[in-house]
Amino acid sequence: MLIFQLLALTGLSMGLFGIYRRYAQTKRRLLPTDKSPVKGNISHGITYAFTTGMMPWAKESTRIHMIAYLRGIGFHIGIFTAIGAVILSPFWGFLPPLLSRISVWILTLGAILGAAGGLMRIVEHNLRGLSLPDDHFAVWLTTLFIALTGLGLVKEAFLVPMYIVAAVTFVYIPLGKIRHCLYFFFSRMFFGKFFGRRAVFPHGISYREAVK
Amino acid sequence: MTETIEIALKTLEAQLNQPLETALEACARCGICAEACHYYRAEPKVEHIPAHRAEQLRSVYRHEHDFLSRLFPVWTRSKRLDEPTLTNLTEIAFSQCTLCRRCTVNCPLGVDTPLMMRAIRAMATASGAAPEILVMLADAAIEKGKDPSFYKEMFLEQIADMEKQLRDITGDEEASIPVEKRGAKILYVPLAGAHTILPPAVVFNAAKEDWTLSIFEASNYGVFLADVNRAKQVARRIVDEANRLGVKEIVISECGHAYASYRWDVPNWFAGQFDFKVRSLIEVLAEYIQDGKIKVDPAAIPEAVTYHDSCNLARNGGLIEEPRYVLKKIAADFREMTPNKAEALCCGGGGGLVALAEYAERRIAAGRPKADQIKNTGARLVVAACENCRLQIGDLNEHYNLNVQITALTDLVVRAMRLPKPLPGTEAEHLFEGEKAGIPAP
Repeated sequence: MLIFQLLALTGLSMGLFGIYRRYAQTKRRLLPTDKSPVKGNISHGITYAFTTGMMPWAKESTRIHMIAYLRGIGFHIGIFTAIGAVILSPFWGFLPPLLSRISVWILTLGAILGAAGGLMRIVEHNLRGLSLPDDHFAVWLTTLFIALTGLGLVKEAFLVPMYIVAAVTFVYIPLGKIRHCLYFFFSRMFFGKFFGRRAVFPHGISYREAVK
Repeated sequence: MTETIEIALKTLEAQLNQPLETALEACARCGICAEACHYYRAEPKVEHIPAHRAEQLRSVYRHEHDFLSRLFPVWTRSKRLDEPTLTNLTEIAFSQCTLCRRCTVNCPLGVDTPLMMRAIRAMATASGAAPEILVMLADAAIEKGKDPSFYKEMFLEQIADMEKQLRDITGDEEASIPVEKRGAKILYVPLAGAHTILPPAVVFNAAKEDWTLSIFEASNYGVFLADVNRAKQVARRIVDEANRLGVKEIVISECGHAYASYRWDVPNWFAGQFDFKVRSLIEVLAEYIQDGKIKVDPAAIPEAVTYHDSCNLARNGGLIEEPRYVLKKIAADFREMTPNKAEALCCGGGGGLVALAEYAERRIAAGRPKADQIKNTGARLVVAACENCRLQIGDLNEHYNLNVQITALTDLVVRAMRLPKPLPGTEAEHLFEGEKAGIPAP
């Protein structure tokens, strides 16, 4: 078992190193300084981008595709739970049984939602047209990772495949589309800065505030 | 690799900063952005999904920058940039995206697709593939800046005639249109045409403002080309004029891209090296009404009025509440379109599309969602504070039989000022006549 645990740990280290390299590469690029006078509030814009701006009702698109959006949220909660669970796996024996059970439920739901996403990419016309082989692989790989982590929590027999798939997933993170997990933070930050500076977001700025 | 492709790739590399790389990397291809785009709404197909559009540039970027894509191009559909790909990219960026940023606002990750479309426009411009008319218009403006004396005399003659009209309309013999007045507080920058000079002149005179008229026009086609060098040269004419005259602020006519560029981009192009501030005429109107500098009749406009948010003014410019403040002071029946403000639909005329005759059919088709929005309000008057939007909505009006009148905000304010005579040759005059013809005025 130790070998497989070390394999997963190696995968995690490689994944983290790869993500760090990506981060460093992007940070090395020029960050344009905006010298235009601020109208709104940049920090409010950034806060909005990471909080209320992510709510399902905050955007027309997520209001239209509410189920798809919530599916995605559930899937991502599943992924982060699985990552946390694998990292903590040597200490599972010390976990309160209730926490284990909750984790299993989250992972089960995450895996179902992941599989639904994978199927949607095959069945739904627009998604099929947009999807690259990388997208199909990434969604099924992470779904398998979530599912095996959940099974590993329930049955010891699944621990070996769990560690193997975890290692592959971790290594793949910086290589394929999963690296959007890093760029999400960059992207929302730029979003918040741009629209916050211009007093577009957060919503609800009054005329009096606008003309200040 | 041909020289054209080499230039295009070098231009892409030169632009590759943190925001652009982020936009190229962040997309999860979830497709949720589809309905955010007016092209998709008008004609729902995969090619009209913003993510698909952006993917065309990403495939080129990945070929140059992604390890896995270089090893297995088929895995990420990466491809080397070639002539047909550049032609396709150019077509997409200039004819299928108005840079409205509605997709960005609607993307769960906030992917800035218009930033990528701008990158393509820059690649096309640098490699000589951009639409010729936009290049010609930008270059003509630059030439005009080099030697304004060539047309200045004629311009001043026209202004003198306009001054007579101004006095006639206002009944004020002292009313004037000052040009190149040193030390004036405001430098007002119009667009080409009297319709963007006379109504603001009425307002400035009524407010007893210390202002002067720019001899240049606000529009900047370098912006549409995403060519910072050209755009900067066009803008320099006005920046230099403002510095020469020592004005306190530049006020931009009702024009979306001009406002967005002077307010948000010009300070960056010139590294913030000037002392004047930049405002839109809309902000000035709101201020004059709020401070009581101009008197308006709150029931002057009896018809149902709706307001179209220009993307450059609202979503990209932050001018959301100011026009509404003005309209609520002058229009008894103001109706919002749905959606509006930061979520407003693009009319389809932005990004320089209005100037590109070769894409007119596509532009009108993509404007259908806006036409439906206007129809649903039941309004008779559509106010648009952007010249390109007004032109586009005018075309939509004709094509989709909307039976509305399109007007600038300033024209409506002038109408609400209840002057002795209406503005000549504008919708305001027509409306004034309409009132006389029996449409009830308060």
